[in-house]
Amino acid sequence: MTAPALPVTTEPRKQPMNRWRGWLLDRAPFLVACLMLSVIVAIYGALQKGVFTLDEINLDTAAAMTLILAATGQTIVLIRGGIDLSIGGMISLGTVIAATQFTGDPLNVAMWSALILALGFAVGAVNGLLITALKLQPFLVTLASWSILNGVAMLILPTDGGSVPGWWIGFSYNLILGLASPVWMLIGLIVFWYWFRATRLGITIQATGSNEKSAFLSGVSITRINIITYGLSGLFAAAAALYLTTQTGAGSPTIGKDYILPSVAAAVIGGVSLFGGRGHLLGTVIGALILTLIGNLVFVLRVSSYWQPVMSGVILLVAVLASSLAEKTARGQEQ
Amino acid sequence: MSSFFTRNRLILLAYLGMVVLLLVTALFSPGFLSESSLRSTLVLAAFVGIVALGQTFVIIGGGIDLSIPWVLNSAAILMTLLCAGQDLPLVWVAPLILAGGAAIGLINGVGVAIFGVPPIIMTLAANVILQGLILVYTGGSPTPSAPDLIKFLAVGRLGPVPVIALIWAALALVASVLLSRAAFGRHLYALGSSATVAEFSGVPTARTIILTYVSSGLSAALAGMLLTGYSGQAYLGMGDSYLFTSIAAVAIGGASILGGSGHYLGTIAGALVLTILTGLLPALNLSSGALLVVYGAVILVTVSLGSETFASLWGLIFRTKKRKTEGD
Repeated sequence: MTAPALPVTTEPRKQPMNRWRGWLLDRAPFLVACLMLSVIVAIYGALQKGVFTLDEINLDTAAAMTLILAATGQTIVLIRGGIDLSIGGMISLGTVIAATQFTGDPLNVAMWSALILALGFAVGAVNGLLITALKLQPFLVTLASWSILNGVAMLILPTDGGSVPGWWIGFSYNLILGLASPVWMLIGLIVFWYWFRATRLGITIQATGSNEKSAFLSGVSITRINIITYGLSGLFAAAAALYLTTQTGAGSPTIGKDYILPSVAAAVIGGVSLFGGRGHLLGTVIGALILTLIGNLVFVLRVSSYWQPVMSGVILLVAVLASSLAEKTARGQEQ
Repeated sequence: MSSFFTRNRLILLAYLGMVVLLLVTALFSPGFLSESSLRSTLVLAAFVGIVALGQTFVIIGGGIDLSIPWVLNSAAILMTLLCAGQDLPLVWVAPLILAGGAAIGLINGVGVAIFGVPPIIMTLAANVILQGLILVYTGGSPTPSAPDLIKFLAVGRLGPVPVIALIWAALALVASVLLSRAAFGRHLYALGSSATVAEFSGVPTARTIILTYVSSGLSAALAGMLLTGYSGQAYLGMGDSYLFTSIAAVAIGGASILGGSGHYLGTIAGALVLTILTGLLPALNLSSGALLVVYGAVILVTVSLGSETFASLWGLIFRTKKRKTEGD
């Protein structure tokens, strides 16, 4: 008899037979992701000169940063046990507002950036509110809000265009101690994560994702958690949009959809569970780096760039099979 | 009678919405109710409806199929390439393409049912892998035009009725019988309501899950071949918009994305609603951005109407009505 795909919530194991095996199995998806990234970097480094330099780290981080930011919000939502498809619409809308409203004046840019971030949080909060208040499925609510946000973006700017100030585009070239600003952003993000997951809020989000019913019975307000979780996801999507404009220098009403499923894929490759309760930003960052570096790999291997989606699909499957295998082994060990 | 209405209220609502939309559209653009305009709406809705057939099965079973865009696109590209504009090769090409679509569905289903991969991830991976392989194989070059027979099936008509509407009706009949009268349908609803309960009640869950994805692969491949007849040839990205519309049609048709409820008859209404909306907005001088906003709003409203909050409200209205009739 084969077990159907059931939402599995893993509670902390009581007494693993072997502490080391338990530790390894717990982190198997993350370790597999690290292994895959090392293999990709090794092949890339063998075929291309100057891969192991600060320049390369700066460039690759800059290229991966939009996906990392989008996937950070997605990771929080996935740990909560939901999914957010609306980030695609928010990213499009963010770039479009930035490209049409930014002037050369730094004060204006700061004001509009703050507004875009606030809008991101507000849109996410509405998602969270709808999901809780009407007891709707996150997939459909965020699919609908993706469509609405994308439509609004197209109304503001029907085709790619607009512009942002030159100094804004230069953002990722600013070097501090030899590291470019995206690298510092990444470091900041990881520091934020270690702080965030230990906060009362972080723990509550994870607990709610593990088991919503018991979290509710322990006095967690599901409404509040959903508003904050999806709000944060919207906020990070808005941040991704702002960062994206430093890379493209323009707004695009359609660019956001390229980040919806890759953000989920990056998180899943890094070991975040789609069933909630499990995951770590470090894994997501590794997943995003893998997805970005596949592009470089295809280039140095001198094969058709069309192999890129094939490779990312295979990596996604390998990652998810590794985690389900680890899960099964861990459960077998317990019994 | 009232239990019939309560049970199928979402499907009935979808049809009610469709009729209202049709009248509103006719109000703003008087030509909309003309025979030719209705016919072209029906043809476009048929493509959405055929793609959404498999998606309906998958969603009732509690899954989702994101591999539809490139199954559809691959079927279109391979069919036009292999036929090279001739009708005769269709004899072996059409079964081959359908078998290919079914094979992708089989892989998806086995991944989900046997290996426990979440449906979103399994079908997403299948979609990107298929996309890459087809692009590598064709090099992204344009394909020859569609065979005449396919063109006839897609845009031809028998008397006043478009051929594709007849194909759609036949498929709808098969799907409805499968859902309402066959063991497969009972297994599917049981599976979607609770996989655990279904498993312990002796429902062949793995086989049922696999069959839903196979039917989704089949319907996407069929739609892909037919769509080349509508557009004249296959092109890259022709399946992309069908991912959103197939899910939206199922949702508007009243199925729960969590599985266990819904019917293909609802999806038909959903496909018609989406297509009429695309016709309404140009009549109102609205852009494609506005269309997306309206799509989103319609999905939100319909899924809200299907939510528990509204279900209790609905029950309240019907109970009061019943009491009134009893009082009379």
